[in-house]
Amino acid sequence: MSTILELRNVSKRFGGLRAVKEVSFTMDSGEILFVIGPNGAGKTTVFNLVSGFLHPEEGQILFRGEDITRSAPHVSARKGIGRTFQIVKPLPSLTVQQNVMLGCFMHTGHLHEAEDAASKILDFLQMSHLKDFEARGLPLAALKRLEIARALATKPKLILLDEVVSGLTTSEALALADLLLRLREWGVSVVGGVEHVMQVVMKIADRVVVLDYGAKIAEGKPADVVKDPAVIEAYLGAKYKEMAH
Amino acid sequence: MTALRGWRIFALLGVTAVFACLPLFLPNDYVLQVFFRIVLFAALGLAWNLVGGYAGQLSLGHVAYFGVGAYGMAMLYAHHVPLWLSVLFSALIATGFAAIIGSIVFRLRGPYFTLSTIAFAEVLRLSVTNLPAAGGAIGLSTPALFPPGAFWKMFYLSAVALAFVSFLVNAWTSRSRFGYYLMAIREDEDTAAAVGIDTANYKLRALMASAFLTALGGGLYGSAFQFIVPDSVLSGEISVQIAIITMLGGAGTLLGPVVGAVLLLAASELFKNKFQESHLLTYGILIVIVVLVLPEGIVGGLKQLFQRKTKPPASVAPLAATPAQGGD
Repeated sequence: MSTILELRNVSKRFGGLRAVKEVSFTMDSGEILFVIGPNGAGKTTVFNLVSGFLHPEEGQILFRGEDITRSAPHVSARKGIGRTFQIVKPLPSLTVQQNVMLGCFMHTGHLHEAEDAASKILDFLQMSHLKDFEARGLPLAALKRLEIARALATKPKLILLDEVVSGLTTSEALALADLLLRLREWGVSVVGGVEHVMQVVMKIADRVVVLDYGAKIAEGKPADVVKDPAVIEAYLGAKYKEMAH
Repeated sequence: MTALRGWRIFALLGVTAVFACLPLFLPNDYVLQVFFRIVLFAALGLAWNLVGGYAGQLSLGHVAYFGVGAYGMAMLYAHHVPLWLSVLFSALIATGFAAIIGSIVFRLRGPYFTLSTIAFAEVLRLSVTNLPAAGGAIGLSTPALFPPGAFWKMFYLSAVALAFVSFLVNAWTSRSRFGYYLMAIREDEDTAAAVGIDTANYKLRALMASAFLTALGGGLYGSAFQFIVPDSVLSGEISVQIAIITMLGGAGTLLGPVVGAVLLLAASELFKNKFQESHLLTYGILIVIVVLVLPEGIVGGLKQLFQRKTKPPASVAPLAATPAQGGD
């Protein structure tokens, strides 16, 4: 399989705070990779760097072999990087379908084609019954799906899902996880970011990258990573590291 | 946002035809002049709507383009440019101005944009006031676009034509990818960028189209009143008037600017004779009402009431707990 995304020693500073420290990882196309880590570990910053909303001070980001380190967000989106936002950002006074159509417009200028394409995506995400409602009235579970639908509508090669299950009940989160597994049918590689809903990660991730204080502390299969002492320490503190052994 | 279906186009043509026929029955030039102002400001509101309504960028400096239209027409004509070409060229100059200011200020978001539109218009007003070549504070006389016989009838019809063109531009916008992109920018710029929209570029295009139409309106206005001074065609009051008309009627709606222009100008015309300067008070009160009660304007508010399904009713099924068609 070919490499779709590669981060090489990427660092990002906010004033005196190093939010991301020399992070490197690669990802194969078709893979579902989760970036996990405690609150403040730098997950969202990594997503913002990859999608062009932020640019790193050091390091390089390659997407399908092309350097996108300094691409503007709309340029990265057009190259095939879709993203969702941790704090959902729907277009509130537009309907659900119109929200999704905005993604579809990347590939068609015709309203009817965009409507049809949006309907297919809404079917896939099982929210067709909501398509004529304005986004502003929807519950969080639906807004999280709407974020995915809009990103999927741009036909991305890679989709970045920032905290896509946070705030959902366990059953909502697991239902969404089933849908995320099926994103492969759309030819999309997935990078998910999750703080603590480990059930979802264990269920669908091929591989996991663990961040703590902006640095990568572990990487590997989910079942191995959760046994890693460094990961246990990051999540639960040093005391539990000893108990785990 | 409204669909422009077949019957709507015919309704639109019908309304335009009726409006266009009115001057034939009007008793005197004064009433006709009032109608000219109403229709002209409807056109200006529609032009503003592209930027302030669909793209959600609150410009309070549109008088700059209006003034460039009026002054440009008068000054180009004085330099022997044919009359109608000077109207067209001054609109193109205003579009150029819009391109320059837009490419600078659209990197900014929120109130910075609004403030810089006001600043730009004020700089222009002060420059013209102190520029002898533009007549300074004394002003310029403008060439008449139409012969004295049918003077106000022709101006009225020109305003109708401009409003009609502006309406068509709005109608096309509301049904095109361009318009959807502008609305996305209005609702959330980050989301817009995330679906591949070059937000600065689309805002700029909207502003340029808006400036072109606004300057044509300025040219008509300048010629109709035969004499222009900075305080008449570059005054900040016109910027506010254009914005209020659109917001009162409903920014981002097709009919909003038309409804706003009719209500506001008719009201200020009626009150003007009773209390001088009271139209300023009217604006103040209307701003408060719009902000408090009708944030989406009259047309926007009515739409909410009758058409849009804002919230899913409680009876709508929650999202399925498991995928409907099996996972693999």
